[in-house]
Order: sequence, then structure tokens, then C-alpha cells
Amino acid sequence: MNDTVAIERASKQLLRLTVNGRRHELLVEPRRTLLQLLREDLQLTGAKEVCLLGACGACTVLVDDEPALSCLTLALACREKKVTTIEGLAAQDGSLHPLQQAFVDKGAVQCGYCTPGMILTGKALLDETPQPTPEQARQAIAGNLCRCTGYVQIVEAIVAAGRPQGSCCGGGEPAPKGAGEYLMPETGE
Amino acid sequence: MRLLHDFEYAEPSSLDQAAELLGRVGRQAMPIAGGTDLMPSMRQGLFAPKVVVSLKAIDELRDVAWDERNGLSIGALATLRSLETDPGIRRRFPVVAQAASTVASPTIRRTATVGGNLSLDTRCYYYNQYDDWRSCTTPCLKMGGEFCKASPGGKARKCFAAFSADLAPVLVALDASITLLSVRGERTLALRDFYTGDGARPNGKEDGEIITRVTVPKEKAAYRGVYLKHRLRGSIDYPTAAVALTLRPTPDPAVFEDVRLVISAVVTQPLVVKGVAELLDGKPLTEALIDEAASLAKKAAIPVANTEGERRHRKQLVFEFTRKAFADILEGAVK
Repeated sequence: MNDTVAIERASKQLLRLTVNGRRHELLVEPRRTLLQLLREDLQLTGAKEVCLLGACGACTVLVDDEPALSCLTLALACREKKVTTIEGLAAQDGSLHPLQQAFVDKGAVQCGYCTPGMILTGKALLDETPQPTPEQARQAIAGNLCRCTGYVQIVEAIVAAGRPQGSCCGGGEPAPKGAGEYLMPETGE
Repeated sequence: MRLLHDFEYAEPSSLDQAAELLGRVGRQAMPIAGGTDLMPSMRQGLFAPKVVVSLKAIDELRDVAWDERNGLSIGALATLRSLETDPGIRRRFPVVAQAASTVASPTIRRTATVGGNLSLDTRCYYYNQYDDWRSCTTPCLKMGGEFCKASPGGKARKCFAAFSADLAPVLVALDASITLLSVRGERTLALRDFYTGDGARPNGKEDGEIITRVTVPKEKAAYRGVYLKHRLRGSIDYPTAAVALTLRPTPDPAVFEDVRLVISAVVTQPLVVKGVAELLDGKPLTEALIDEAASLAKKAAIPVANTEGERRHRKQLVFEFTRKAFADILEGAVK
């Protein structure tokens, strides 16, 4: 921090952070947002630039496992933080995260612009509430806009990804009937 | 991407350091906490501080605490989500948790702070725009121009920008106090007096000051309350009209004391509606009395064309919300 206030050009500062498991050390302009850092410096273009006002959720990433709007987050505010973008969600061998797979299976992706934000917001919900109800899923993605309006499939995908998967709970007890399930009002499926 | 203007960034690790830095740099410095209001405003060119002082490393302002003697104390850096989910607040001040839950979106509430919400800038169609939009016309009063462009005829010499912070109406109704710190010392004032009623300069926070905490007297834990807010999108938006009601129950379920009605978004500050306490305190609440209070609230509302919603509609919403707030209390729909 300079003592003088008359600044011609703000000095870059050192930023250490982990993005998708990789450590980075960068010199960053204070005015740079996390979204710019990800998209322009690290070429991670999964987080989308849309409204830049916090109204759409397309730039959502996870900072220390919590959803955050990267367009409203200064890069320097992420010192020593763990950032996860959509690029970091699949396993090392390329197999999709269960929530990503659920988005594919349920047809929850249309133009795809909102998808990274939807999936990361959904992942944070599943981390906190492993078997969310459709209402909890809808509440969680309240700040994520889908202009294709494919919300029904997105909610279905999040709820489906939370469904107990047979062996995941120690293999013993079957999941309680109805838990985490979402029945289509028309078909009952 | 629209770049932010150039600024220096500091992240002091203690409150004293932050106050010292803000005091030294003066009006060219601004504190940032969650940043969910300041970042869009800086991007739109409404503020261009040369030094941005992050408060996020200051852990001492993050706590939410209850104390039988001093009541509720909320650190300015507590997130809105922490208010919404705090078991103590949900039990003793459910209306505070409820109001917090209506702010913006769940993701923003994880970042946005209590201090930021209480010092939220007032909003207006003519003000919250990118600089290139604003440069197409003469500046509005809030940006240094002569007249409030949103006022009827665009001729008022008073700024009518809408007060939009959802926590403030409830906390004003609950007689909360706000504490600010600077190198000049600490001061505590009634939250109600923190707000100026001037849309152009909505609160009395001075250069170099940091909001440190807000406190609610312990007696208020026995009160009941409700906050009703209308917005364009239910999932995320600023209020276009809002009403907060708090009151002290008596053994008679239809009689209340210390009835406090505060309107917001249709005025430039969280405005306590005058005459309501005199009208309703200690009397059985009847339909006619409630309508009278609702009329007082409607009369106090001065919506101008500065946000979504037609003006008459927003004024009528204040009337309807007041009636609904009392109905919710009487029907026991809210604690």
C-alpha cells in the first residue's frame, strides 16, 4: 500500500489461490474481477459473463465450496481461497460429476449459458442438503436465470442427482421410500 | 467486459488498521465488504474510489450474539444468510430473519453483509445506469444536477431515489442502534436517525467511518413482527413497495402496545408512519382501525417514477400490505 494517494496506475498485487485443484501465483491488478481472472488469465471460460450486476447467476463459481458471483468478486479477495469452476467438476478421467450427468440425462441443458452457474449452485445445495426437495432446489437456484426457461428439467436434474444411489450409503439400508424423489404431477413417474 | 476503474486495494487485518487507513485517505477511500452493491455501482461509474479497503479479513465484526442484558448484537460483517439461518435470531427475532431472507438471491445473501445492507445506496432509474447512458442526458440531482428527473415534471429540487434496503425498515421498527467507528472515535445512534431522508445522501455515514455493529434492545425479543415486500421478480429484486410492522403483544390477543409501522421503497428512508401508535396502542384491533392505519401509511408514501411499478399501484400496495401485515399478526401466521 502506497502512502501517497495520488495514484497514476494502481500497482499489481500478488495473488495465490487454488483453481480446480491447481495452485496459481499471479500478479493481479486490484480492479480485476475473479471472472476476468478465470476467463481471460486462466482461459477457464465456463463461468459466463452476462449481466455483470449480480442479477443473472451465470458467472457463479464456488469459492471455498460456497457459490459466489465471480463478476462481483475482486480477484484479490480470493487470496488463499479454493475456487472451483465447472471445468473442475468432472473426475480426472473425464467422467462427469453425478450432477452433470443428471443434467445430461434430464435434458436440462438448452443453450447452455446458464448451465455452469446452475450446476455449481446445485452442487453447493447437494453438499449441504444431500437429498433436496424440488422446492429446496428451486429456492437454491432463485438467483440463476435460464432464458430458455428450462427450469423444470434443471430442478429435476438437481433432485435426481440427490437421490440415494443404492451403495452410496454403506450398502446396507435401502433409502426410505419417497426420500429425495420427485414425482411428475401428470405421470407420477 | 466493462472494466472497473483503476484503484488500489488494501486488506487490513484489524478494525483499527482499517479505520486508520480510511481516515488517512479520506473521501477517496471506500470500504468494501461483500461488494454486492459497491461492485455494480463502481462498474456503472457511480463511485470511483482511489483506494478500496476490504473489510473481509476483520473477523471481529462477523458475530451474531444474544445477551440477556444488552439484547441482540449483530456484527456489520455478518452475512445476510447468517441472519436468515441463525437459530437465535429465528427464535427471538423471526422478523429479522424473514426480512434478511427477502434480500436479493440466495447466492448474494451468502456474500452480502448487514453493514452493506444498512448502508445500501438509494436507487432510481435515472441514477443506477452505466455512465454512457447517463451521459446522454443532463445529470440528475443525485449525480450533481439541478433537478430530480424522476419527480413529477422532473422539476423537484429534492432527490426521491428509493430506499431499498430490506433489513432497515424492520430494524428501525425494533428501535435498533447502529455503531460506527473512525479514527475520530466511536459513535452510536438510533438507526432511525442514521437515515437522512435525502435520496442523494441517504445516510449519515461520514468519510472514513466503518459501520461496526447494530444492536436491538432485549425487550424487543418479546415483540411480534412482519415484513412485506413487493418486487418485480420474487426470486431476486429490490423492493418496489415494502411495509414493516412490529408490536408488543398483551394478554388480549387482539390488543397490542408500541405498534410501529415503517414503510420503505416508496420513500427515501425507512419511514416510521406517524400517528399509528396513537391510533392503535392498547386498543382492540378492528377492521376499521386497521384501515385507518393503512390510510396513514398510504398517505405517507410518495412513490415517484424511479423503479418498476406504476406509482398509484405502489401507493395502494402500501395500504394493502399494512392490512395484510395486521391480518398476519392477528391470524397468528407470523410470530
